[in-house]
Amino acid sequence: MNLLVSEGSQPLALLALEDGTCFCGRACGASGEAFGEVVFNTSMVGYQEIVTDPSYAGQIVTLTYPQVGNYGVSEAAMQSSGTALRGLVVRDLCHTPSNWQSVCAFPDFLRDHGVIAIEGVDTRALTLRIRSAGAMRAAISTIDLDPESLVARVTASPAINAHNFVADVSPRQERVTPASSYALRVREKTGRAALRVVAYDCGEKRGIEEGLAAIGCEVVAVPFDTPAARVLSLKPDGVFFSNGPGDPRQVTQTARAAEDLLGRLPVFGICLGNQIMALAAGADIEKLPFGHHGGNEPVMNLLTRRVEITAQNHNYGLVFDSMGPLEPELSEGETTHVRDLRHWVELGIAPVVRTPRLGRVRLTHVNLNDGTPEGIQFLDLPAFSVQYHPEACPGPHDARYLFDAFARLMDAWRERDNGGSVSPDYLSIDVREGRPHHAEA
Amino acid sequence: MPRRDDLHKILILGSGPIVIGQACEFDYSGTQACQALRRAGYEVVLVNSNPATIMTDPETADRTYVEPITVDAVTSVIEREQPDALLPNMGGQTALNCAVALGETGVLERYDVEVIGCDLDSIRIGEDRELFAAAMRDIGLEVAASGFAHTLDEAMDIADGLGYPVVVRPSFTLGGAGGGIARNEQELEQIAGQGLALSPSTEVLVEQSIEGWKEIEMEVMRDGAGNGIVICSIENLDPMGVHTGDSITVAPAQTLSDDELQRLRDYSLACLERVGVATGGSNVQFAVNPEDGRVIVIEMNPRVSRSSALASKATGFPIAKAAALLAVGYTLDEIVNDITRVTPACYEPSLDYCVVKVPRFAFEKFKGTSEVLTTRMKSVGEVMTIGRTFEEALQKVLRSLEDGHDGLGLDEAALFDEKHFAELVALPTPERIFYVAEALRRGWSVGRVAGMTGIDPWYLYRIADIVTAETAIRRLGLGGMDREHLLAAKQLGFSDVQIARLCGCTEEVVRAVRKVLGVTPQVKTIDTCAGEFAAQTNYHYLTYEDGGATEHTEAARPRAIILSAGPNRIGQGIEFDYCCVHAAYALRDKGYETVMINCNPETVSTDYDTSDRLYFEPLTFEDVMNVIEIEQPEGVIVTLGGQTPIKLARQLEEAGVPLMGTGSDAIDLAEDRDRFSALLDQMGLAYPPSSVAATIEEAQQAARSVGYPIIVRPSYVLGGRGMAIVYGPEELASYMGEATRVTPDHPVYLDAFLEEAIELDVDALCDGTSCYVGTVLEHIEECGIHSGDSACCYPPFSLSDTLVQNVRDITHRLALACGIRGLLNVQYAVKDEQVFVIELNPRASRTVPFSSKASGVPLAKLAARVMTGEVLADLPLPPEERETGYFAVKEAVMPWARFPGSDVRLGPEMRSTGEVMGVGATFPVAYAKTREAIDYEMPSEGTVFISVRDADKRAIAPVAFSLAQMGYRILATRGTAKTLRAVGIACEVTKRVGEGHPNVHDVLAGGGVSFIINTPHGHDSRGDGAVLRSEAVSRGITNVTTLSGATALLQALAVLRNGRLSVCALQDLAVRQQ
Repeated sequence: MNLLVSEGSQPLALLALEDGTCFCGRACGASGEAFGEVVFNTSMVGYQEIVTDPSYAGQIVTLTYPQVGNYGVSEAAMQSSGTALRGLVVRDLCHTPSNWQSVCAFPDFLRDHGVIAIEGVDTRALTLRIRSAGAMRAAISTIDLDPESLVARVTASPAINAHNFVADVSPRQERVTPASSYALRVREKTGRAALRVVAYDCGEKRGIEEGLAAIGCEVVAVPFDTPAARVLSLKPDGVFFSNGPGDPRQVTQTARAAEDLLGRLPVFGICLGNQIMALAAGADIEKLPFGHHGGNEPVMNLLTRRVEITAQNHNYGLVFDSMGPLEPELSEGETTHVRDLRHWVELGIAPVVRTPRLGRVRLTHVNLNDGTPEGIQFLDLPAFSVQYHPEACPGPHDARYLFDAFARLMDAWRERDNGGSVSPDYLSIDVREGRPHHAEA
Repeated sequence: MPRRDDLHKILILGSGPIVIGQACEFDYSGTQACQALRRAGYEVVLVNSNPATIMTDPETADRTYVEPITVDAVTSVIEREQPDALLPNMGGQTALNCAVALGETGVLERYDVEVIGCDLDSIRIGEDRELFAAAMRDIGLEVAASGFAHTLDEAMDIADGLGYPVVVRPSFTLGGAGGGIARNEQELEQIAGQGLALSPSTEVLVEQSIEGWKEIEMEVMRDGAGNGIVICSIENLDPMGVHTGDSITVAPAQTLSDDELQRLRDYSLACLERVGVATGGSNVQFAVNPEDGRVIVIEMNPRVSRSSALASKATGFPIAKAAALLAVGYTLDEIVNDITRVTPACYEPSLDYCVVKVPRFAFEKFKGTSEVLTTRMKSVGEVMTIGRTFEEALQKVLRSLEDGHDGLGLDEAALFDEKHFAELVALPTPERIFYVAEALRRGWSVGRVAGMTGIDPWYLYRIADIVTAETAIRRLGLGGMDREHLLAAKQLGFSDVQIARLCGCTEEVVRAVRKVLGVTPQVKTIDTCAGEFAAQTNYHYLTYEDGGATEHTEAARPRAIILSAGPNRIGQGIEFDYCCVHAAYALRDKGYETVMINCNPETVSTDYDTSDRLYFEPLTFEDVMNVIEIEQPEGVIVTLGGQTPIKLARQLEEAGVPLMGTGSDAIDLAEDRDRFSALLDQMGLAYPPSSVAATIEEAQQAARSVGYPIIVRPSYVLGGRGMAIVYGPEELASYMGEATRVTPDHPVYLDAFLEEAIELDVDALCDGTSCYVGTVLEHIEECGIHSGDSACCYPPFSLSDTLVQNVRDITHRLALACGIRGLLNVQYAVKDEQVFVIELNPRASRTVPFSSKASGVPLAKLAARVMTGEVLADLPLPPEERETGYFAVKEAVMPWARFPGSDVRLGPEMRSTGEVMGVGATFPVAYAKTREAIDYEMPSEGTVFISVRDADKRAIAPVAFSLAQMGYRILATRGTAKTLRAVGIACEVTKRVGEGHPNVHDVLAGGGVSFIINTPHGHDSRGDGAVLRSEAVSRGITNVTTLSGATALLQALAVLRNGRLSVCALQDLAVRQQ
């Protein structure tokens, strides 16, 4: 709210970065102090989905679109039961929203959920700072307004990779979500039985659970440290590894379970899940300078050569060339790894590597902005994963077909010849077919 | 997929003249397309009849045909050039319609021309509402319940079924022409009747009204591989019911949640697939019910559009350029994002700012027409601005309009119509936004205003915030505001003028205080990606942020700032933008770093690669000074952007800004009537007797000494705004009553009106020591018709060489005497071989683009070079008095059909929106081409109705005689018939409107008239003639209101009867001249 409108009713607040940069502003959520890693998200809408996304645990999120809160808060937009992020930075927060779905104003929501938030910040300047200096430690305070002091405390605060944030946001207990009845009817008509998926909930977004339910899966969400044996005892058709916060290398239990489960039944992973599956296959993990957080990242599916516009939220990613040497006979004779994976886009090849533990893995999706890997498919076992968010929430629905791909994989696995394998073409779905149709929406 | 190598030569169709609903956004898109395809190695052939465009510069395409966009002319071009492909989706509906016609007549097949970028079927589905509705139902999208009517009775039946109100939309008309909302049977009869008449297929859609729903547009692109992206969402502040071209629009959409927006994205992309858009950009419009989010598809345009130009400027994504490349085989992922240069064009722009567009209207020029906005577009231009918040962008955009507002209210003359106040809050008119703000200022609740207007409460809350801040500023006063307060005021978009008015001080004081407190604007960049990647281009806007972070970079080369022309309006259109673009090109070639300031999203000047740096900012003193202080230019050019920058010249010079070219004193000398008359006296040059008056009494006295009839006009105006010819004291009194409201600070000028004189327009260059006359243009219509509305010819077709030389000599002397450095334009009247000076404009004129194309001398570019100090002697100039071997004619395009109720006649006040050019071996051939370019088809047979005033009776005889010889039937009113019969011309007599039935009105209504020659009787605008002319307009019948125009038309008709006219490329004219 503008100062001339608020008449000074909002207390002052300070945002301090590790590199010494400070921004003054006004408190617009809960009062207090928040320390975390500052990142920026370039989605123009979807602020409520963002603040309720558990993957932001440990982070202070800057929204690049300057006016936030315009359409208020709705129950439908919740991605978890609350908020997990450390703090929120915006340019201008709306106290008088308007939308038929809105039940309250966003600043009230932030305050009720204890989210420390600051407005009046030149978020573009902050974004450019993060772009050049990388994601870094930061703090928002409504108490300590002395820049020097707050910066000093930021530099003394722990780094994001020092803590297992997944343990904070993963549920303690299992829970079951039923499949969508519409999807079950559709499956029934085509002679396919209901599916059951066990989801490792490392901070799973509701949108994903809805995505799985929408393809006819009953979802049993389990804590991140559930042993593989327990999962197998639930007799699922497939296992899903969810998104989640922080450094995947902190989440060793889940990676171990992934190692045990891969090859025994169909597996699908999103975001952190993708990293965990890659770790299981022996890949290196790298931290991107400032990550991908937004709803406009172009990704090419190398199998269909179609581009999908994707929602993304990650700071860590797998290193494709660390997974193993190229398999020339499946990579059209190519033997040399290139770091910028757009190389493969230009060549029109979906390259395959041989991993030490889990057989051959194909690169299926590449980010066209920076050439980072966005999706992989295991060729010798029924599994695939993507770094981005097919459930969107917020963001474009282009990648929804990946849920269908998972269903196709599970169906094919069920019907496979004894001991036979599954044809890898389950991932070759045209993005246009995957977009939701009016009737479903 | 890489570029197609099987294509070599591509034909692009432009959109023809600027008309309401199809303006210079198509110059922007067409220019981008030409440049992109040439860079990709194709040979480009262009057809466009509009000379004021950058697109029709001989340098833009390889072969440029300034010819009518008709099947005949384009067929001739195809025969001559043998192109491999036709790209029709850059030139608006005109180009699409022409492409469809070329397909239907078999021309494309005969010459083996492939249509690229869209296919003809998709054009049909996009435009034919019945097919479109079926297609949308196919993919599960809801369309408004509706039915098609081909007769009035059918329309009535459908409306009865749907219930009133209903929306009427004619098929295949431009900008929704002929459409509207009917609330009852009477209104339906009127609107549907007109719509049926205007629709080429005599078809209207009668549709359930969804007035009050949110209107959202999605700008979408698709490539040949099937990749689809949304470039931008645009939300209309005005709800459904107002044409999007007449609405205040906001990008990105502000009041939709992610869920709602992504659904619209899914629908848009599905719509493109279903309609079958092969490649390129499209625009899909939706209505969203604010109560429950229900979505209805309104329409889609399978081509670049006004909205796509806006989306390009709003996001930095060059839609037209990308569309052109997609048409020749590239895919979106193969095209590089121009701005980041490291990421592909296959992504969706993210904005970290808010963009607001406001239309500019011209109702003051069309008295008698209703100002209520409907589904039929009436605006003549638009402005766009960028802010970090909606509030900031809204206030900036309202002060960009140049119609007396300094922002959202708090204007000098804040006059509200108290009697109709509530009505004017509720009704959509150009002024509604100010009434809405005033209502909130008066304490009306947001709920109440939302209920009355249908405007989403979110926008009203923001406006209420601005109003609250006004109170705070007024209470605090300038002294009571600290740095934070002043920053907060600037962040809400308050101009210094507004703050000064609230605090009771002057703009200069506010500016000084701001600077002391360190409240100065920062440079931000439009980068398509909200800061995620570094921008390689300098596309900027200014805003106020705490912290002082700026994205301004120092330049190695000296900088020159060019001030462009702001919103298109009648009298100041694309021609001035053209001059500014040329200056940018010329100065860049000379090693300058060029900086453009403008706020018109339709133009080439606001393309981020036209100049080295672009500031998308209002052209007010405050905003311009902000850029100047940041850029520290070597000079600022104020003489190419029309009256907009000229008005700032003195203030800028006083602030110590170096002007390039003609200085403010020279400008003042030419524009100050007294000083200029004194100069003419001193030089011994004739000019019509004139006088100045500030009051009615003074005016009456002055008029007596000058003698009636007189031309009266306010000082410092463009396009003859507020100008009139008055014939007696009563008329003068009523004029003075109104005129003083136009510009209270400036007096009124009274000039003797030279009846039946020939008017000349001269465009010339001057370097301070010598002068070069580029063109002498002879007007077709006589003195008294505004030069902008008159047709003109280069070279003069009826003047002696001696007289033309005399005019050149006078121009040389005047230019030097005034101290012009750059372009000037002089208007002369020639009567009885005597030359009178009417006025001198110390700046680029409206005719510069036409003059440049007609003469082959790029006047604006040369002017920019002169402004940098080059001398004419060193410039490549052909001799002034050379034989051309051809004639070039410019004709004005009038928007009568958009303004029912206003009098249809040419006069001293300019009303045309655009112009066309024709080139031919003779004057009649060139003029005939302009008629074809405007009307697309000339009536070659049938009945001509003639009714002329007494003064013209003698001269009409030869015209009528020729018409009769050509086989036209002649119908006349009694008086005219008497004259005609007396000289032996057979004609029929019809009754006047007041004389009972059947009268001339009935004949027109019966469709029995091909065209009309009707010269108005004196000053009467309410008589028989007015009814007649208005009827002609609503039926699309050509109507000539001057005798000189009739003579020219007659010659053109004669030429057209001899068969298809030959076409000629501009590039060949240059050769012919040498």
